[in-house]
Amino acid sequence: MSRAASPAVGRAARRVVESDVCIIGGGITAAMVAERLAERTGASITVVEAGGRTVALGERSDTRARMLAYGENPWPNDHIRGQTGTGAMYNSMVVGGAAMHWGGAVPRFSPEDFRLRSLYGVASDWPISFDDIEPYYQEAEERIGVAGEQGPPEYDPRSKPYPMPPLPLSYSLERMREWTERTDIPFWTQPWARNTEPWQGRNVCRRCDTCFVCPTGAKYTPDFSFDRLLAGGRIDLVTRTLVRRLRLEPGSDRIAMAEAIDRDAPDEPVEFRAGTFVIASGHAWSSHLLLLSANPRFPNGLANRTGNVGRYMTAHWYLAGFIDLPMRLYPGMFVYNSLLSRRFASPGPLDRYVRHDLRLWESTVGRAPKIMDDDGKLLWGDEIMADWRARTESESTARIRAYYDLLPDRDSRLTLDPARANELGDPMPRIDYRPAQESVDLQEHTIETISGRFKELARAAGGSMRSIGQPSELWEHPGGGCRMGDDPATSVVDRWGRTHDHENLFVVGAPTIVSGGCANGTLTFCALSLMSAEEMENELPSA
Amino acid sequence: MAESRRTFLKQSAATVAAVSLTGCAPEAAGARAAETGGDALSRADDATPVPLPAETLRAVAEAVLPDELGEDGRERAVRAFERWSEALEPVAELSHAYLVPEIRYSGPDPRPGWVAQLDGIEKECESRHGVSLSDLGVSGRRELLVRPLADTGPDLGAPENADHVALALAAHFFGSAIAMDICYGRSIRRELCRSIEGAEDEPAPLGAAP
Ligand SMILES: Cc1cc2nc3c(=O)[nH]c(=O)nc-3n(C[C@H](O)[C@H](O)[C@H](O)COP(=O)(O)OP(=O)(O)OC[C@H]3O[C@@H](n4cnc5c(N)ncnc54)[C@H](O)[C@@H]3O)c2cc1C
Ligand code: SF4
Repeated sequence: MSRAASPAVGRAARRVVESDVCIIGGGITAAMVAERLAERTGASITVVEAGGRTVALGERSDTRARMLAYGENPWPNDHIRGQTGTGAMYNSMVVGGAAMHWGGAVPRFSPEDFRLRSLYGVASDWPISFDDIEPYYQEAEERIGVAGEQGPPEYDPRSKPYPMPPLPLSYSLERMREWTERTDIPFWTQPWARNTEPWQGRNVCRRCDTCFVCPTGAKYTPDFSFDRLLAGGRIDLVTRTLVRRLRLEPGSDRIAMAEAIDRDAPDEPVEFRAGTFVIASGHAWSSHLLLLSANPRFPNGLANRTGNVGRYMTAHWYLAGFIDLPMRLYPGMFVYNSLLSRRFASPGPLDRYVRHDLRLWESTVGRAPKIMDDDGKLLWGDEIMADWRARTESESTARIRAYYDLLPDRDSRLTLDPARANELGDPMPRIDYRPAQESVDLQEHTIETISGRFKELARAAGGSMRSIGQPSELWEHPGGGCRMGDDPATSVVDRWGRTHDHENLFVVGAPTIVSGGCANGTLTFCALSLMSAEEMENELPSA
Repeated sequence: MAESRRTFLKQSAATVAAVSLTGCAPEAAGARAAETGGDALSRADDATPVPLPAETLRAVAEAVLPDELGEDGRERAVRAFERWSEALEPVAELSHAYLVPEIRYSGPDPRPGWVAQLDGIEKECESRHGVSLSDLGVSGRRELLVRPLADTGPDLGAPENADHVALALAAHFFGSAIAMDICYGRSIRRELCRSIEGAEDEPAPLGAAP
């Protein structure tokens, strides 16, 4: 447990909290680090979270009901007023972070993701390989509780089985899988952080299809980890406390303390003193804190001797479409499950670079009730029902989507925004994402290739493309800003997440990725955080 | 077929209680479920909203909801809409838009406008036909509703965003899990909390034993 020391003499009254490890941020990556260090070391651990506790499990049925009825936020007030940046970022600042909202889709990256330069001559290789990270993928899957179906090993490599059997496919997805089997594109069940067996005291999924808020606790959210660690007396969780600056030890590059503000007692600053500091503040706030912590020794921000903090912000874009299928499906039996193919994330040798995943869902697009027919005539009561039936009796819609990776540019960048400050006057982050020129040059080829595969699938079903949208330029599952590498000239942290400039400062998870992959990223962020935790263990008191 | 749907509608309230599970929301709690929707909803504030004129609302329901619901089914759909609209809170924080840092809020309370529309249509009916809306035939009521609904576009949308109360009522019913089951003639039971086993089965025809 951490120790609260007396206020420092000669300054405004300050609360001082001491521990061996201070983790800044209370999201899923913080939960992974805290769990592992609590189990494997005897270190005292403090987790500092800017937000408060959110809706307790027992109340989630009520907020779910209001979300369904009115579209209300099932995690009300889970943000901090004024603590808002510009550019794609999450606004959940709360114990559990963005993963209170998450859907829980947890594919791994493919081996190719780590070797883009060596294999395809684009972007950069990571300093680690898939084989290096694989055991931590497994560990993350076990901690979170992942239910998955083993795909073809060449596209879904793993050394051990998924912790739990997959979620069942709905009747509709079973029919859709039969259709995809007419092609040479293998599809299997998406892996999910949702229980198909009781897992760590949590329920089995109940198919209620509102996974952005799970009323049963079957979907993993990080509050479960924190509650378990708190119950075991293994961590201190300091909530509603925003870390504003990291300070160095005098005459040294080691971090001495994190200065914070207790949002309930803003006049009494809090100092967190620790031997090891871990920034687990997500893709935006991690670089932001380093930049905010500039001092005469590091005038451009901590860990930023080579000017790489905030750079290489990365993610993926997607192309989506809808396919008309000549078969009757029943959408609504289990909407939050889907089919996945990683076939084209591991494409083998390529003339021109393009990698993407494929995902299929049942959909009601084009098959929802309407109040006007195609000629603009108003429909009433039984007519609405008849029109609806006519569009669902023998045809259905599938939604298809491909995440494709964007090769990050050095100037895809998070900076401090002089035009936007929070209530304390601290400048807020501004993220100007941009793809590297090589990605821009590949865009047309990428879209053509993916559209071709959509159409091939539609043909195999005897159906047709209803529509293909414009490429979504939403930077999904973002990361970067503190990318990892062996060379300090081009990176901020080493392969373990340790900053090159400060031996007792780690950045974990999303900010450290080198490229955004073509898969939902959070499992990778968790695996990387566990790798970092292993490195920290060597310097901490043993259990 | 219509009879089995009606039987299903009658049975559904009982089934709800039977399948409610520990740690789960009741069936389609708060969903735009015509049968059960409003029950699980409550307002955080103690405000008592002005009631929607009940008779006129029911007269509108006969014009916009399917006859195949029967009188009981239609009454349940209207009651669910009333409960839903009473528990609606204006300017509530909406679900976060994905990766958009700004917080979004719902609009102002649509109910005063809906009350005025129901009063207005009643007055128009009196002046044009000399009878109350409920005494006018269904085709006459629809004629009165054509103008306010003409600009709505083809989609029903979310009821809280509906410009007109008739559209809100239709959107609330047709967006419900029960309307979907009636359309498909199957017991799909969207958003129902239940075992994952059986997901792969073709949903049973409506009215079949649960
Ligand atoms: C609707 C939705 C659906 C999603 N679905 C999926 C999915 O299916 N699959 C997937 O892989 N990913 C998904 N994601 C993304 C996933 O939630 C995030 O990648 C993940 O939660 C990021 O975790 P993190 O620990 O990196 O950061 P965060 O969750 O952002 O946690 C960081 C925490 O640090 C705190 N913090 C920041 N700065 C400070 C400071 N200075 N002092 C103190 N505390 C601080 C913040 O308050 C926050 O709680 C989804 C996200 C959303 C919103
Ligand atoms: S479908 Fe399963 S994981 Fe999703 S909200 Fe329901 S119980 Fe939770």
